Amino acid sequence: MDVTIQGSSQKFVFPAWINYLLPLVLILGAGGAVYVPSLVGYALNPTTLNVGYAPVQPVPFSHALHAGRLGMDCRYCHTTVESAGFAAIPPTQTCMNCHSTIHNDKVTLAPVRDSHATGKPMEWKKIHDLGDYSYFNHSAHINKGVGCVTCHGRVDTMDVVRQAKNLSMSWCIECHRNPEQHLRPRDQITNMTWDAQVDAGQPQLALGLDLKKKYGVHDAAYMTSCSRCHR
Amino acid sequence: MDKHAQEWLIPTPSRLKKQLRLRSMPWQMVSGIVLLVCLATVPLALVSRARSKTSTKPRVHLFQDMDNQPKYKTQSPSPIFADGRSMRPPVAGTVARGHLEGDDHYDRGFTMSKEGDAWSVSYFKGFPEQVVVDDALLQRGQERFLIYCSPCHGADGLGNGMVHVRATELKQASNGWTQPTDITTLGDREAGHLYNTIRNGIRTMPGYAAQIPTADRWAIVAYVRALQLSQNATLDDVPADKRDKIQ
Repeated sequence: MDVTIQGSSQKFVFPAWINYLLPLVLILGAGGAVYVPSLVGYALNPTTLNVGYAPVQPVPFSHALHAGRLGMDCRYCHTTVESAGFAAIPPTQTCMNCHSTIHNDKVTLAPVRDSHATGKPMEWKKIHDLGDYSYFNHSAHINKGVGCVTCHGRVDTMDVVRQAKNLSMSWCIECHRNPEQHLRPRDQITNMTWDAQVDAGQPQLALGLDLKKKYGVHDAAYMTSCSRCHR
Repeated sequence: MDKHAQEWLIPTPSRLKKQLRLRSMPWQMVSGIVLLVCLATVPLALVSRARSKTSTKPRVHLFQDMDNQPKYKTQSPSPIFADGRSMRPPVAGTVARGHLEGDDHYDRGFTMSKEGDAWSVSYFKGFPEQVVVDDALLQRGQERFLIYCSPCHGADGLGNGMVHVRATELKQASNGWTQPTDITTLGDREAGHLYNTIRNGIRTMPGYAAQIPTADRWAIVAYVRALQLSQNATLDDVPADKRDKIQ
């Protein structure tokens, strides 16, 4: 009761509506204790942080045109992907194979022509960037039947390449534990639309287990050992 | 005690009812709490937006750990060298181990001889002894042909690949684009000549030495031979027991 008697001592008396505030504070406190950590977790999730990075490149090269519409194989440009750890970004000469006589006057291709004339490399921006302590090897994955699309998404539909998967450690491990969910025949590695059921007439799991044996993919204990990726 | 207070203290039924009712919270407090709850959804909305959209800016890197170490990885740039590369090209006039290319037939596909002052080039007719032409080689050749040759020459080798279709669509003939050669008509070219064309290019076709290693070039030559045969074949060339399949 907020009745104070004038002339009495200056005691503080809680206003009456405090009775409403108490349950409200409890509800807000409990809600906040769930909401705030969830929000922080959601914000710092690798999918939030990593997926969708699509930097502006020095030349607006379209994978949707070259790999999609023209149907060029990934390996026409990324030649080392089957034999080396790093899938090479092509030298300027590879662009000039065609662009010496196609669109050789196009303004947006001027940096390519300059690079070809001066020998100074193009400075493409790296999109898929793992931590420097992980030693990822493209050739090992390609030769064991992991397709490009599994980690890079539908690059053949991207005018501007963006990161499609989060490339977090838990994402890597998920496949290292169950590779059969993702394996495909070696001759379908660069096929962006391959599907086990549609193209091989088998469920992914059955085909994956066959291929795992055929390509000598190791067991989960070996595949999830720290030193597979960290040396 | 003043008069006003005294009046309050005398409990009449109507006064008692008024006194016992809990007074509601001030509107400032209520609206403050409502505003706080509403504002709490803003970070969620911002995170959701960031999650669903692409960004041209590098990702937020809150925990550096040892993600970016002061070392050069493949094809990473370096400010130390004038051309900006950390991977150094071989020193001029040197040959890396395993790259000597000392075998005329296997590595070059031709030999050169000198008569008087004039050099003459002669291409090798067949495959070098290192190359065993078998089914595996043809399979490999087909795969490599489809990767590196078919964009221009087409999967059938007739010179109507997608790059040619696109160049025609864009009217690039004025820029120097010419239709790729129909390679099925080159049946009388020496194998060494085809090999040298893949390696060094010919007319407007650039060399593919950097993209296709030596063994694969020969595999492609073998597959080109198969294309030449198949594109100019008659039904009599097909084994009798397999004719039903294509008839």
